[in-house]
Amino acid sequence: MKLHAATIPAAALKSPSRLSYYRRQKGLFVLLVLLVSVLPLLVLSWTAARHYEESWLARSSQELRGLLESRRAIIDLFLRGQEDLLAGTVELHGQAPPVAAELERLLAAINRRGVITDLGVIGADGRHLAYVGPYSRQLAGRNYQEAAWFREVMASGRYVSDVFSGFRGVPHIVVAVTSPDRSWLLRATINSEFFDSLVTSAEVGPGGDAFIVNRRDEFQTRSKSGRAIDATSLPELNAGDGEARVERQGDFLYASVGVKNNDWLLVLAVDIRSSLAGFYRARQWTRLLIAGAGGLVLLVAAALVHGMVNRIETADRERLQLNDRIRQAEKMALVGRLAAGVAHEINNPLQIIGDQAGYIEELLEEETADSMRNQEECRESATRIRAQVKRASTITHRLLGFSRARETGRRTTDVGSLLRETFSFLEKEAANHRIAMACLVEENLPLADTDPGQLQQVFLNILNNALDAVEDGGRIAVEARHDAGRIVVEFADSGPGLAPASLARLFDPFFTTKERGKGTGLGLSISYSIMQRLGGDIQARNNGKNGAVFTVTLPAKARQAA
Amino acid sequence: MEKKPSVLVVDDEVDFVDFLVRRLQKRGVPCEGVFTGMDAVRRLKKGPVDVMLLDMHLPDMSGTDTLRALRRVGHAPRVLILSGHASARDGREGLELGASDYLLKPIEFDTLYHRLLAAGR
Repeated sequence: MKLHAATIPAAALKSPSRLSYYRRQKGLFVLLVLLVSVLPLLVLSWTAARHYEESWLARSSQELRGLLESRRAIIDLFLRGQEDLLAGTVELHGQAPPVAAELERLLAAINRRGVITDLGVIGADGRHLAYVGPYSRQLAGRNYQEAAWFREVMASGRYVSDVFSGFRGVPHIVVAVTSPDRSWLLRATINSEFFDSLVTSAEVGPGGDAFIVNRRDEFQTRSKSGRAIDATSLPELNAGDGEARVERQGDFLYASVGVKNNDWLLVLAVDIRSSLAGFYRARQWTRLLIAGAGGLVLLVAAALVHGMVNRIETADRERLQLNDRIRQAEKMALVGRLAAGVAHEINNPLQIIGDQAGYIEELLEEETADSMRNQEECRESATRIRAQVKRASTITHRLLGFSRARETGRRTTDVGSLLRETFSFLEKEAANHRIAMACLVEENLPLADTDPGQLQQVFLNILNNALDAVEDGGRIAVEARHDAGRIVVEFADSGPGLAPASLARLFDPFFTTKERGKGTGLGLSISYSIMQRLGGDIQARNNGKNGAVFTVTLPAKARQAA
Repeated sequence: MEKKPSVLVVDDEVDFVDFLVRRLQKRGVPCEGVFTGMDAVRRLKKGPVDVMLLDMHLPDMSGTDTLRALRRVGHAPRVLILSGHASARDGREGLELGASDYLLKPIEFDTLYHRLLAAGR
């Protein structure tokens, strides 16, 4: 018989690491389920997010470059426009420098939009000839002979300054223009706020920025966010060739291009984090969802795996128990064959010994006291020999009884009545030892199709053992009931119970705890064989510290339909 | 005194057969002994006996086979089975084949004696 076609090593159930073995299996299963279900989601969401981010960056870079080019065109156009406006005014005015009244008319003509704050006329010697604007008092009598911008205008005819505050305390740009055949130049101050708005109105999204720095890294416009971005930290943007560039630094996408003949650098910055805030929120939600799904999967998997592994563990244990029983039954069969063989071999010599002794007795009868002085003693010896043969044969007959497959005698049996009858055999002995015997049979106990003689032998064996185990004044209680198609008879005694070592060997042949000569050690093993043959079972356990409990079960006969 | 039945003892235990034959003869029972099943069949072919005491384990053939062989011969003595090894199957088969009793060794001589007489009656 194959007993070891096991999926899980039998040792795992018996070793102390048994618990951790099943726990490990559980952990492994849960982890596997979690990996298989959540990992693809994670990979998918990560890949999708990355793809989206990259494509957004590419698109944004392109858009930013377009925006940059258009802003540069606007700014250059604006500065050039102011320059050209002044140049045209100088050309149209004529040779003589305009006087104050003329200057006022000129300003009104060219300053419809309020872009120009004031207008001044400066002679070739650097003196202020005329001025229209709010700062006449501060500018009166000023000489620009030594100023760098004055010299540049006189040399090249045109000049546009950086943004500066000067003595006015307000940021402004100065544009100055002259003509080769004029002995004066026209100088205008551009409202820097108007200029700022040209830059800051660039659509750079939330958190973004747009500004202009000069070559000394001084801001020419207000940084939109008010955050001072250190232009020197952007060496690439500041390369100096004035080419348009877009690149990412940290959380910002920077675009730069040279304006005003590459004197200035127009910088646009897009805050990637703020621009992608919606996307990041969505990503956050996705992560939360995945975590939630993972948690759910974990719970469900843990519950399922827990139940499954527990069931496997139970099945394993039951299988091992079954194996133990099969082994026990095989052992019984082997011992039975052995016992039968031994009994047979011994019975033959016993027959001869007994016969010879009997013969001696018979022969002695024919002798007379005269011829044989010890006739009486010889007879006595022969009688003793026969008595011992009888004793030996009792044992061999029992051995045979153990091995014999008595399959006869099955009939419909009322187990309750049988139990009561068995009780009546022992009541006298129990009374002698003041042992209380109680027998409780469930009402409507089903009948059984079994061998009453053999079953009674089992009951007798158990009750005899109980009587031997219980001390005077003790108690033996028997209860018969039915449970799921089986009849269950429980024998509980108030004896000392069973030692753990005894429990394992209780049903082994020749195992006895009784004193020498009192028991053969075959009673329970015979009972075991009988119950196996009857399709039933016999088990023993300790009832806590209150003695031993033997349980006999056998199949009940199916009740006939009414 | 009534006539005692003739007895044939069939057993492979030589000591047992010798002794039993001698003792039965001493009590006036006409008795013979053989040690194998074939000898028993041969003996019965020569002439009938009243009672046969048959062991179940013979060296050449089993007790039940011997019984079957005897039935074919046609002489059917009363048969008592005497065995050191009582198996229910052997017992039942023996009884089905016409044996009148099944005895287990060791058995008291007097008991055996009375059974033999009873069987031969």
